[in-house]
Amino acid sequence: MIKSPQDAAAGAFLLAIAGIALWLGADLPVGTVRQLGPGMFPRVLAILVGVVGVMIVIDAFLQSGEGLERWPLRAPLFILGAAIAFGFAVRPLGLIVAAPLVMLVGAFASPETRIREVLIFGGVMTVFCVGLFKYALGLPIPVAPWLIGY
Amino acid sequence: MGELAGHLALGFSTAFSIENLALCLVGCLVGTLVGVLPGVGPIATIAMLLPLTFQVEPTGALIMLAGIYYGAQYGGSTTAILINIPGEATSVVTTLDGHQMARRGQAGVALGVAALSSFFAGTVATVVIAALGAPLTKVALLFGPAEYFSLMVLGLGLAVVLARGSVIKAIAMILVGLLFSTVGTDLETGQERMTLGLPALSDGVDFAVLAMGLFGFAEILRNLDNPEARAVVKGSIGRLLPSLDDVKRCIGPVLRGTGLGAALGILPGNGAVLGPFASYTLEKKIADDPKRFGHGAIEGVAGPESANNAGAQTAFIPLLTLGIPPNAVMALMVGALTIHGVIPGPQVMTKHASLFWGMVASMWIGNLMLLVINLPLIGLWVRLLKVPYRLMFPAILVFCCIGIYSVNNTPADVMLTAFFGGFGYILYRFGFEPAPLLLGFVLGRLMEEKLRQALVISRGNLMVFVERPVSAVLLALAAVILVIAVLPAMRARREKAFQE
Repeated sequence: MIKSPQDAAAGAFLLAIAGIALWLGADLPVGTVRQLGPGMFPRVLAILVGVVGVMIVIDAFLQSGEGLERWPLRAPLFILGAAIAFGFAVRPLGLIVAAPLVMLVGAFASPETRIREVLIFGGVMTVFCVGLFKYALGLPIPVAPWLIGY
Repeated sequence: MGELAGHLALGFSTAFSIENLALCLVGCLVGTLVGVLPGVGPIATIAMLLPLTFQVEPTGALIMLAGIYYGAQYGGSTTAILINIPGEATSVVTTLDGHQMARRGQAGVALGVAALSSFFAGTVATVVIAALGAPLTKVALLFGPAEYFSLMVLGLGLAVVLARGSVIKAIAMILVGLLFSTVGTDLETGQERMTLGLPALSDGVDFAVLAMGLFGFAEILRNLDNPEARAVVKGSIGRLLPSLDDVKRCIGPVLRGTGLGAALGILPGNGAVLGPFASYTLEKKIADDPKRFGHGAIEGVAGPESANNAGAQTAFIPLLTLGIPPNAVMALMVGALTIHGVIPGPQVMTKHASLFWGMVASMWIGNLMLLVINLPLIGLWVRLLKVPYRLMFPAILVFCCIGIYSVNNTPADVMLTAFFGGFGYILYRFGFEPAPLLLGFVLGRLMEEKLRQALVISRGNLMVFVERPVSAVLLALAAVILVIAVLPAMRARREKAFQE
């Protein structure tokens, strides 16, 4: 039946994007050809994305291609989780907490990580980042608001 | 000719200030430093290093960014030669013979030839930019909204053809990129579009957020998926400078490579990526003994490397004169320019003359610096190559987070980047290439604006795009290119070309 599971899933993914875009943009006025409204361009594009999605799905039935492997969840979970943790920590706790946090959480993404190595490296990198971004480049990023007030 | 000399004089007087020279040097150094790390391509490098330029005035920032760009390019060639991992599509060709040379104990000569031929190509390309910049700007002034729209359609069409992998998936990525560009407040009516009511989205998706998600985070995930087998060349690098005999053999390939690369680089839609392939194929065809290619032929390094660098530089022409970025790296440059309050386009040359010519001049200076700093520092780069990925990715991660936070000083941006990182990972798993998405995203807003303007001017007549001759020719070209790309015969040849 389906000769290329990867393509079938890819096409379905595009259809989902098109569907979400059409739904989100449903109440935007389309306007007229003479005066295009804010809804016209997104709607036409969403429909085109959907059409391409259908084409890819059809192709998946006709041409054999790659299968779908099992997706590893560990790396996305820890890498993206680390970034989100950074987002939450950077304002209230500052770089001095957020930087080691993102490195430590992120490091769990790889099975090769050695805890002690990451702890030492994280400490060194934090000092380096504070020195580079805060003091050398003067970026307005909080260092440790709870400790030194900025 | 006098005008050209005047412009270059203005440029060099701008670029030769102590501050700008220092910025150019720092840019080249950190660009190479990050670009040399395996698994970090030029796009991720520039996105990560963008915050370094925030506190600098626009001219200096752009000079530094250009330095980072060349540094990253050169770093990509270094990894291609030493560990057989191309930093990006354009250095794929360098792995073929460059890495073979390295395995035969000629790593130093390969790196030296790459640097020298890049420098030569960069010099020529700088002159080409200076010479073509002004006339092309005049062409740009003749372009109305309809022509602009059609030109962008052509650019996106070319990007589809030149993207790696499936044609239909590349089309899908462009469309998704265009769709993403419509998120945010509509410029004409002020109405919010598809923002989910999130304040972080009301100005639209930030370019840096999207780029860092797709190329920073997703690339880490991609690398963690495929534990790499890194074969750093063992033993000595050998001498760096090519012998007289080597130089003689390289002159022809370098000249041809430079010409090909410079010409292809000007094309909208990432023509630069074709340069190294074209040069390699040409050299192999006209060589006395084609069998040497793939086994460490020095011509196979010199030609493609000069084509690569020439194209990388002439790719600035469509950006600076028409305001249309031809590839994802140039799209990042648009983002950077906009952050610094410079809107790319024909007015850059007149409104920001010293910025424009200063940057052109610094391109040449940057190439010279690369030559000077890289040859003695190669030992250091080799050592960097041995840093294990398990230490590298947490460092990349923290730099990405700080970089993204610093663009607008908003924590929400970091989380949005994580979302696009996940999105990029899904795309990769489904066999999509993210580069066309980024290009579509950058052109999207301009395309919509020009489309709407063109229709207002023509009073709603859709035929305006085919009635105006220039626009019609551009659209016809786009159609021809796309039709050829989907034809089965062409498809097979294209796949073969990318595999070679």
